[in-house]
Amino acid sequence: MGVVSLAACGGGSPGALKGIVRDDPLDVGSVAVTDVTDTGLYSGEDEQFSFRARPGHLLVVYFGYTNCPDLCPTTLAELRAARRELGSDAERVDLAMVTVDPERDTPEVLNGYLSSFTDRFNALRPVSEPELVAVEDAFLASSTIVKNADGTIEVGHSANAYVVDEQGLVVVEWPFGHGKDGMANDLEFLFDDMN
Amino acid sequence: MRTLITRRYRNLIGALAALAVVSTLAACGDEGDSSTDATNTSTAGIAVSDVWARNSPMMATAGAAYMVIETSTDDALVGVAVDVSVAGKAEIHETVMSEMPAGSDMTMNSGMPMGTDMSTSGEMTMRPVDRLEIAAGTRVELMPGGYHVMLLDLAAPLELGSNFDIVLTFEKAGDVTVTAEVREEAP
Repeated sequence: MGVVSLAACGGGSPGALKGIVRDDPLDVGSVAVTDVTDTGLYSGEDEQFSFRARPGHLLVVYFGYTNCPDLCPTTLAELRAARRELGSDAERVDLAMVTVDPERDTPEVLNGYLSSFTDRFNALRPVSEPELVAVEDAFLASSTIVKNADGTIEVGHSANAYVVDEQGLVVVEWPFGHGKDGMANDLEFLFDDMN
Repeated sequence: MRTLITRRYRNLIGALAALAVVSTLAACGDEGDSSTDATNTSTAGIAVSDVWARNSPMMATAGAAYMVIETSTDDALVGVAVDVSVAGKAEIHETVMSEMPAGSDMTMNSGMPMGTDMSTSGEMTMRPVDRLEIAAGTRVELMPGGYHVMLLDLAAPLELGSNFDIVLTFEKAGDVTVTAEVREEAP
């Protein structure tokens, strides 16, 4: 059983990770999900994406949906702002978002949405319930969709963001509200460690 | 009647992570007390400041607006509205930790305070709020991850630098119109 330890927040010693670090890091490198990215920066359509950062890069993974008004755009905007603080290292930060609402998040919708936050993204759209659950399980994440009789759809989802390294290990997790400064701090620390 | 499609995953680590989230937020608090009011409305004992909405990502159909509300007498926010040229519908919502014990089908959105139950799955969801109480002399912050004015069926993307009006209906003070500034982040 992994133990979650929290670095002290606010005013911690410079260079320390401020997010959640597990003593036994999650290994997500062996799970794969359908990649519908259409930007050409990455692989073509309908290929399988593996959760490993490119060499010299860090991969930020988020589970969300595009109809999400509050949590998802807040976290993704914080990441965008954090990348601006990183200078040239921003190009070493890649984003992969797994939609938990693939029915409404078509490839076109998902690609358009993510392009508003970064040009370095992978749009991931599970083609089946088991595929989504397998990915969520690897991250100890989950989601729930409730379809109401009045046609409204309620979506619940884990709101953490996960930073994954080249080996496919989750090196730090950001709870909702970690903020752009917390993200920039952690990314800088991890890049320093890699150099 | 609801149809529930559930993808559940629950374990102790998830619950611990959820609690960690809560303790982090509690420990760090927020840094938001040095606000300079870009927009400030004061009517009938109601003061509303820092009204903003996040600019829409491409393809987004929903949005959210945030603000700080203070009252000099006990009151409650009971309704919100925007023009149809902004969004089809506006509602007061709250983002909460959902708690969905295994096998249950209707316990979502039951409003248990965050982190009080180790069985929480760590999922966050939203629930509509009919009535948001504001005690005299206190302030309620509508902020990301908490209370917000949810905008459904956006008529057009919320463009950076633009403004739109929101009509807030208070139980005692009646209607108060405020202007939201569309921004990338909180003022």
